Amino acid sequence: MSGYHLGYGTNGFAGHRLDDALGIIADLGYTAVALTLDHQHLDPYADDLVAETDRVARRLDALGLRVVVETGARFLLDPRHKHEPTLVSENAERRLDFLARAIRVAEGLGADCVSFWSGVCTVDIATGWERLRTRMPAVLAEADRRGVRLGLEPEPGMLVETLSDALRLRTELGEAEPLGITLDVGHCVAVEPQDAAACLRQAKGLLVNVQLDDMRPGVHEHLEFGAGQLDLPGTLAALDEIGYTGVAAVELPRHTHAAPQVARRAFTALRAARLDQDWLAPALRRIAAEPTAIRALFPAAGRHVGRGPLYPGSDPDGLVHGTLDDLARTRLLDALAAVVPADELAVELADLYRYGDGAERRGVLRALAVVGDAAAAVVAAGRGLVADALRTNDTGLVAAALGPFAARHLDQHSWRHGVLKCLFTGIPLAAVDGLNRRADGRLRRMVTDYAAERRAAGRPVPADALRLLEVES
Amino acid sequence: MRLFDPHIHMTSRTTDDYEALYAAGVRALVEPAFWLGQPRTGVSSFTDYFDGLIGWERFRAAQFGIRHHCTIALNPKEANDPRCTPVLDVLPRYLAKDGVVAVGEVGYDSMTPAEDDAFARQLELAREHDLPVLVHTPHRDKPAGTRRTLAVVAESGIPPERVVVDHLNEVTVALVKESGCWMGFSIYPDTKMDERRMVAVLRAYGTDKVLVNSAADWGRSDPLKVRETAQAMLDDGYDRSDVDTLLWGNPVAFYGQSGRLVLDDLPGFTGASDTFAGNSVLRGGRDEAVA
Repeated sequence: MSGYHLGYGTNGFAGHRLDDALGIIADLGYTAVALTLDHQHLDPYADDLVAETDRVARRLDALGLRVVVETGARFLLDPRHKHEPTLVSENAERRLDFLARAIRVAEGLGADCVSFWSGVCTVDIATGWERLRTRMPAVLAEADRRGVRLGLEPEPGMLVETLSDALRLRTELGEAEPLGITLDVGHCVAVEPQDAAACLRQAKGLLVNVQLDDMRPGVHEHLEFGAGQLDLPGTLAALDEIGYTGVAAVELPRHTHAAPQVARRAFTALRAARLDQDWLAPALRRIAAEPTAIRALFPAAGRHVGRGPLYPGSDPDGLVHGTLDDLARTRLLDALAAVVPADELAVELADLYRYGDGAERRGVLRALAVVGDAAAAVVAAGRGLVADALRTNDTGLVAAALGPFAARHLDQHSWRHGVLKCLFTGIPLAAVDGLNRRADGRLRRMVTDYAAERRAAGRPVPADALRLLEVES
Repeated sequence: MRLFDPHIHMTSRTTDDYEALYAAGVRALVEPAFWLGQPRTGVSSFTDYFDGLIGWERFRAAQFGIRHHCTIALNPKEANDPRCTPVLDVLPRYLAKDGVVAVGEVGYDSMTPAEDDAFARQLELAREHDLPVLVHTPHRDKPAGTRRTLAVVAESGIPPERVVVDHLNEVTVALVKESGCWMGFSIYPDTKMDERRMVAVLRAYGTDKVLVNSAADWGRSDPLKVRETAQAMLDDGYDRSDVDTLLWGNPVAFYGQSGRLVLDDLPGFTGASDTFAGNSVLRGGRDEAVA
């Protein structure tokens, strides 16, 4: 994969301890984090800030996470007024002190930059602008002294709202060297006159930080990818095109309630969108125009998008989350499902599986999670394929067969035997979707017997089996 | 020392052989589709076999750290059985697969008109799918069969550098070298070719465009013959880079013409190590997984 680092914003993990959030973010496969300094996350007003900064720096290093510092905490400075005071408030001292602290933290963390916004202007524009211009030099001087770059983020509803506002301020400040641009691609959808890709191209050399999220035009609401109108593949392609090598972190501050799941979905969407850039996008267009083209494209997917695991760190064999070619094949079948009737889809799924090699069969099985529920005929075909896969001893097929489709549609007897087969063949039970929901007394009895057999033979009992038995007690 | 066996029928071999191959340095191999000893009586018997070559056998090899590829074809012996020839119609589906790096084994067994027809049709399929060709030469009437083989290849218009003519010996090597095709040698325990005669052939004809294989199958054969050829070369004064060129570089160059070779280390295995490094597939469940 190319230069830039996919990250996740800790403001989307507000309910987690910072260490836990960082661990989850790294486990999911992200290689960067956008760290919003807040009362519970590396509090810049803590007495032990220096020591704590060192500790977090070591943690980031150990997890292999690159970092940018974000300063958009809501009630850190004023418990009653969100984001206040700002650089355009009447009295900005607390904001200036906070930014100075953030710069020192960024220095201590070795962060790419400190990202900040202007603030909502409650006075006339000229006064607001004048306040901003007169207060920025102190911030710039501190950044310069610490060797930290700043990223000014245009924010809907604030004085600096668009990229052109930000560029104008930079010009008025004499093109000050430490001052770069942070761009939120969702904001581009909401308020910019051009699309996110065009904004990225315009910001190009000044870009120090990118925030990733979806949005609808005119509505400043951070959405998961696919829920708004962002062209994610096109946007990511633009990052590659301009040679951006910094952090591009998901910005979903209102999804804290389901942070781990949202972060996982976001990463999957990002990985899939990054596949688009060379081979997949034209392939999807071809299938839309000529559905039978999938017969030639499906076998070729691995050659073009790669065969590596989606989450190399936590799932090196791709048994739990699948591989790049699995994901590409899901996209191909999703495109097919959009253009052919359900009965034809059922036949095509069965044929692609029947005549597929191991990887193609795995691809069909994983895609069932997305396209398998289209109609009764498709569900029936999918059940047949899952049954076939569970008769094999190919761990890739068995693991792929026990995904969300099997969780929804496989009968309980076959499902239990599938779980047991995982234990026998060394497939992590994390590959079994809905495990805790579907595990029943009978499965636990079978696993207990299996564990007894292993012990009788003097062989270790897999940790997954023990964990499953613990859930009961 | 890394080795590539360009012709070995692993379907007929045990997991002990896979372990021995890995320990000997074999990291990649090609399994040509061929006869099973017991004649087939229908197309589905072929397709189950082909499915195994692109499915189960690939998975089995991967468990032992070895990259498995195959070639797909109707073999010359069974090209004579009209119950089997309809398999030619399903070959295109398989020739599109990732692990398929050539059309083969094709060629002659008894040099019948039916063999002529199957050979010509499959050379055409190789052209259509832009794949190299692995040609088997007959064990009976070998010089005549080899000459006829080369004539058919020349007539097909397939460039000779995309064809390997296999099972050669001292009598047939010169013919093939002159044609510009690659020269394949199968090293057996006591027939066809042995590793000392192989080294003599290398001294006489050079290592260029030469592939050395064990062709191990269900008959009396030895999957470690490629490794023993490497040793025979070293004993004869060749250096390790010569061995690497012949027994790794050459098969990579030939089958690499398919654009489908995958040669990076498998997860849990490193090129330098001869031991399994905690591969999760092997751990605990290995006996069941390959049962």
